[in-house]
Amino acid sequence: MTQPILEVCDLSRNFGGLLAVNQLSFSVIPGTIHGIIGPNGAGKTTTFNVISGFYAPSSGHVTYLGKDISGIRTDRLAEIGLIRTFQGTTLFNEFSVIDNVRLGCHVSAKSGFLSRLLGADRESEAVATKKAEDLLAFFNLSDLRDEEASNLPHGHQRALGMAVALAADPKILLLDEPFTGMNPEETARMMTLTRDIRDRGITVMLVEHDMQAVMGLCDMITVMNFGSLLTEGTPKEVRTNPGVIEAYLGSAHHAS
Amino acid sequence: MSDSKTTITVWIFALTLLAGLLVLPQLLSYSQREIAVFLIINVLLVVSYRLMTLTGEWSLGHVVIMGVGAYASALFSKRLGVPVPLSMFLGASTAGLTAVVLSFPLFRMKGFYFLIGSFAAGEVIRLIWKYFTFPFGGAKGLNLIPSFPDIGWISFFDPVNYYYLCLIVVSVSLFILYRVERSRFGLTFHALHWQDKLAESVGVNTFRYRMLAFTLASFFAGLSGALYAHYIGTVNPTRFDVEEMVYVLIWAIVGGTATFYGPIVGVVALTIVNDVLLRALGFDTIRPMIYGAVLIASVLFMPDGLESIFPKLKRLMMGRKTEPATKSEAGEIP
Amino acid sequence: MSELILQTIVNSIYAASYMSLIAVGLVLIFGVMGVINFAHGELYMAGAYTVVALYSGLNLPFFVAVVVGMVFVGLLGLVMEYAFFRALRDNPLGGLIASIGFLLILQTVAVLGFGVRMAHIRPSTQEKIELFDGVLLTHQRLYVIVAAILLLTALYIFLRKTKFGWAMRACAQDTEAAALQGISLNQITRIAMFIGAGLAGVVGALTAPLVSPTPYMGHSIIVTAFIIIVVGGIGQLEGAVVAAILYAFVHTFVTTFFDGVVADMVGLVLMLLVLVVKPTGLFGANDRV
Repeated sequence: MTQPILEVCDLSRNFGGLLAVNQLSFSVIPGTIHGIIGPNGAGKTTTFNVISGFYAPSSGHVTYLGKDISGIRTDRLAEIGLIRTFQGTTLFNEFSVIDNVRLGCHVSAKSGFLSRLLGADRESEAVATKKAEDLLAFFNLSDLRDEEASNLPHGHQRALGMAVALAADPKILLLDEPFTGMNPEETARMMTLTRDIRDRGITVMLVEHDMQAVMGLCDMITVMNFGSLLTEGTPKEVRTNPGVIEAYLGSAHHAS
Repeated sequence: MSDSKTTITVWIFALTLLAGLLVLPQLLSYSQREIAVFLIINVLLVVSYRLMTLTGEWSLGHVVIMGVGAYASALFSKRLGVPVPLSMFLGASTAGLTAVVLSFPLFRMKGFYFLIGSFAAGEVIRLIWKYFTFPFGGAKGLNLIPSFPDIGWISFFDPVNYYYLCLIVVSVSLFILYRVERSRFGLTFHALHWQDKLAESVGVNTFRYRMLAFTLASFFAGLSGALYAHYIGTVNPTRFDVEEMVYVLIWAIVGGTATFYGPIVGVVALTIVNDVLLRALGFDTIRPMIYGAVLIASVLFMPDGLESIFPKLKRLMMGRKTEPATKSEAGEIP
Repeated sequence: MSELILQTIVNSIYAASYMSLIAVGLVLIFGVMGVINFAHGELYMAGAYTVVALYSGLNLPFFVAVVVGMVFVGLLGLVMEYAFFRALRDNPLGGLIASIGFLLILQTVAVLGFGVRMAHIRPSTQEKIELFDGVLLTHQRLYVIVAAILLLTALYIFLRKTKFGWAMRACAQDTEAAALQGISLNQITRIAMFIGAGLAGVVGALTAPLVSPTPYMGHSIIVTAFIIIVVGGIGQLEGAVVAAILYAFVHTFVTTFFDGVVADMVGLVLMLLVLVVKPTGLFGANDRV
């Protein structure tokens, strides 16, 4: 088996007295789409936030490319290729579409103060703009290049959010509920895009509610319940696991 | 950004403006020339303030930072005998350095808390000036600050010459500030304002960029303070109190902070109203009241500031229908 | 020495009384409008000048002047609400800036009406109580303490026991939820503005003989009030009272034993510390903003 790109080891996180994640361990294999699912309140989002550096773990650790990254700030993680997206449409709404993606190129377009002042950053900026334009083409957004992001239809905004994340050159891309609030057509398009991203050699880890999308898309699935690992496996293995069925039915019961 | 036609228009406009500014003092009376000196200094102050607001944080300590530059430059030249041009640079640097230090407590706060925090930090600095008679001169402040040395036969005691000096210093400063805004720095500052979490997720160190904006803004505010101190020859804590900050806010808001020129329009328009019209009419006492009313009116009826008038005029001249009111950038933050 | 300490405690209680009334008014307005009223110090100043005009000028009885001052400044609060706060409800910075504009207007009116010089007001009473040996409390100061106790108790009862008070608290917590309950938002904000401003007015009126009003007296008061509401947690009424007491003691003791400027510095540094360590205030909720 290949070396995992991301490893979560005995991870726990509590808020006050509440244990949101309890002794969770799993690993993500490079080049796969890895899903984390579970009923409401299973601790998926907390797990996601700990991995992406928003919270520090209470105990345990997260390893990325063999390096312990627990508690490291989001922007540092981004510099080493671990990029997260946000639920819904989080964009620089006031920027044009191209400027959104150009800002995504932040790390690769680094330049000193004086060179920016004197315009010596022209070359690296041209590279960034080219990269942004290529990404817009990839997401079929080229026609909307100079449109203000807030004017885009919802589906395009979600795609733009992915484009911003890709601009940051991820080695692993963490998607936070990428299918929430999408109609079936948008979901199908987003699934294709996610596969295309994986085929570019970028590992994808996602947290999601939409079971159907997850089953159809992911190579590996980690199922959480009550903050702990319930089971792990391929979609086929997970689908037939009695514990998973019970957890989902049980939560549906509680909800009604 | 990449629009070269706009860039050319901007350049033509800037050069015409510069020519007008060069001729201006010849058309003015002595006291008006003094006002012109202060106006140029205030332009730098308010434009540097706008750089700070790009990141979405509104400081109430900017005038105190200007004062830091003024005090520092005055002290370097007066007590340590540093030549004035160098002391001005050192004063501005001291202001910038103050911002670096203040960043650590202040940028743990955002929005309203930052506003209050910057106010408190500014008041602490003012109290330090007041309390420590050495070296700050206490409540009376410093006087007999060395003036800018003569260059050949040019005496900077003459407001016209000092005006030209300020014009050079401020033009260079504005050019730098403009370049900063048009570069990726400007884009990143805006990004911090609207979505700092998203900016963070693609690798922007939000603290460092906030600190950069604050430090740059403070450096140029400090420079404006130094220009002020060596012209007027005296500084005291009251000169840099919250009332003065209110005027900076008024200039910025009445002008509008969405564009680079907005605050400049604000400070020029209000200085003309203030020092030409009101003074001529003998309305000196009710000046704050008029300022207050203008402030309320502009927040209520012109949330985009005076700058919003220009695009409207342009549209009108081109015979197009005016679009419905666009987003208000000046008013809705933090 | 113990005399001095006791006297300082008495002075602190006086300071806590007027500071808590000012801060509570500010918090009340913030709670309902979501706006920090920068002109709060000038409302206080307006209360003081009401006494200058009515009591010193027209020789009306002191307490009549105080009550008129309270109502007059409360009405000023309504003017502010009507003129700009209502239009700027979802715009905290806009509201703040507009209140700065109003502050300038009030200051100018005071300058035009009364001049920039300090107005000296003869005390309404010369009587004082000797609490202990050499520890004095003038009646003039006692009025302020009594007023604070009465008004804060009344406010507490109003907020806890009446329909409007309940609505006001609901509104401070969640404007939309309050609106859903069928409460008229405008009515609530008007009441809150009237009470909040009126409290500032009554403090200005009662302390006028003690402080010699000037048109610029609001500045130090608003700084004090900021410190208190930040330390107490912005939007926390009880927190404001506790913070006012805390600040009054610290400030009065440092002033007595060191220096007024040092006391101001201590206060501001205290506030900065709270902002850095726990921006929601000492008594605020724990969650991140």
